[in-house]
Amino acid sequence: MAVELRDDSDNGSDLSRSGSPSPSSPTPSLSNTTSNDGEGIVDHSTFNQLLDLDMEDDDEFSRTLVHNYFEQAQRAFGDMDAAMSASDLLGLSRLGHFLKGSSAQLGLLKVKASCEKLQYYGQGMDAAGQHSSISNEEAENQIRILLIQMRREYDEAETYLKVLYGEQQLEQ
Amino acid sequence: MPMPASISPPGSPPSPTMSVDSIHGHNTLRLNSPLQLDQLRRIKVMIVDDNSINLSILSRMLEKHFTDIVQLTVITTSGVEALQRLASEEFDLILMDIDMPVLTGVQTTIAIRQNTSESPILEHNQNVAIIAVTTSDGAEQRELYRQVGMSDCVSKPIDPSKLRSAIEGAMKASG
Repeated sequence: MAVELRDDSDNGSDLSRSGSPSPSSPTPSLSNTTSNDGEGIVDHSTFNQLLDLDMEDDDEFSRTLVHNYFEQAQRAFGDMDAAMSASDLLGLSRLGHFLKGSSAQLGLLKVKASCEKLQYYGQGMDAAGQHSSISNEEAENQIRILLIQMRREYDEAETYLKVLYGEQQLEQ
Repeated sequence: MPMPASISPPGSPPSPTMSVDSIHGHNTLRLNSPLQLDQLRRIKVMIVDDNSINLSILSRMLEKHFTDIVQLTVITTSGVEALQRLASEEFDLILMDIDMPVLTGVQTTIAIRQNTSESPILEHNQNVAIIAVTTSDGAEQRELYRQVGMSDCVSKPIDPSKLRSAIEGAMKASG
């Protein structure tokens, strides 16, 4: 698929993908949204760059993007489970790299770090990306543990973002 | 001393016929040289990335922050699609993801530079400026990108100021 953005003469096209339009809401802020301000979950400077792509007083772009990320992550986790069942380590590595990119773009620190580890483990490397001599079975065990951790980290990030956009109440 | 009749009011866009002679006649500013006119031309950019999130962010960034440089952006989701597009349209710059299925960004760049794709790409595009946009940004990988003909590498998450520097450098290098 090739989609052209507007040039000077075209005011219509927009790459935002969305279902029904969301109601307008105040531009999300990374302050005062959770008790811990997302410390360790989200890199504020990266996410603020994303918010900077919103139009003034309209968070549709970033909100839609975040929801697209949720959908992408869910699909990736499903594919990871399938790859794990098939002992497809290279497939797991590719999936880790794929989700790492979009997680990085949203500033999701822990998810990105775990995705990177998955990328490395799937290629038989250690967590730092250095060559190691572990067996495929050992790599699978590492990945099995990592996937549980990654899912927990993703759930934490998803909750944080939903609270940020007012789509979920902060649990006290 | 009468002003030359060709002077336009301040703030007007430059005209090819505009020229200013100083009172002493030493300095002449002409805005009709090819270099200065080229500097006003905005570029056509192709983004290549298989990840829709990355495509959305980068294209939006160009749309919002780079309107002074970029006239039109086209997005493609694979190296194969990029090569097909390069066979029929001219581009000034490609922002290339690296890790993509089927054809990686490196393989796509090699195919462009060596024109080895199934459909020959336009001659203009063989030397198009290419910037890697990737999380795979270690020193060895950057050297590989340089060797296959990419002019720079911008890390994800993308910093708009670094992207701007890379684009300006790439455009300057490509003349």
